[in-house]
Amino acid sequence: MKLEIRKIPESEPEMVEIQYHWITDEIQEIISFVKSRQGQLSAVRDGKRFEVPVVDLFYAESVDDRLFLYTAADSYEIRMKLYELEDLLKNNCFFRVSKSMIVNLMKITSVRPALNGRFSAVLKNGEEIIISRKYVPALKQILKGGESR
Amino acid sequence: MTKGKMKALLIQALRLYTLLVTLITVLMIILGNLLDRDRVFSYDAFFSPLIYALIGTVATMVTRSDRELSIKNLIIRKVISLLLIEGAIIFIALNADTIPTEKSQVLFGLALGVFAVFVLSHIILYLIDRKEAEKLNADLSRYQEKQMNGAPFTD
Repeated sequence: MKLEIRKIPESEPEMVEIQYHWITDEIQEIISFVKSRQGQLSAVRDGKRFEVPVVDLFYAESVDDRLFLYTAADSYEIRMKLYELEDLLKNNCFFRVSKSMIVNLMKITSVRPALNGRFSAVLKNGEEIIISRKYVPALKQILKGGESR
Repeated sequence: MTKGKMKALLIQALRLYTLLVTLITVLMIILGNLLDRDRVFSYDAFFSPLIYALIGTVATMVTRSDRELSIKNLIIRKVISLLLIEGAIIFIALNADTIPTEKSQVLFGLALGVFAVFVLSHIILYLIDRKEAEKLNADLSRYQEKQMNGAPFTD
């Protein structure tokens, strides 16, 4: 695929143009990446493609090598790896809470202790997710304004 | 097991071990005063809480899992670890000359004491975690407030 990067005058709007023959997985990945940078993620629900605003996301969970996005009431599947999504959303208040999950810190109502040294986070839609002990020091750091990694 | 996981596990085990040493020492003082007041020990007796706490800590490793356990699974594992601790402590008591297991109330007191230490250690660890959670909640509120006043993609 040919890559063209052109410097333009400040008077013109910045844009990304994708010229394609077919929407392949590769093209879809690039579209997803650009949209995610604009605050949206391309995901699928019941066979239909949706643009999910990042601000509406509660958490993302990897199950059997498939990645699912959860909003207040809906779930979507996204063709991406969890670590890629984590990397993409690291500046959008998302934080890794366990091996298979990242959560939107803005959607947490409160944190409370769970059994066996873990914590659970109560989300704004009433759902509860587990925070593994291993990730707690990094969570403390990020809440205090530092980088998590 | 990754280095991070190993470190977290070690910290958790050390925390439990220290707590168990304290609680077992208190239990020995109480049980000894109640059931076998006149016995005199050598300095070796100071090893007992350290050894019993080690048994307790190792037995709780049964509850360790790489997967996130369900509450039901976790409770089953906790019961297994309690039974392991009870079994190990009673086995040691029956084979130790310093513990008068010929008195039935001593064995009963020991079993009850182990249960009390098990429950107490869990309550204390829960209270420590609750304090930590309160701190996390305060930091979380500040973080959310700060993000709402400036970050681009957050609400």
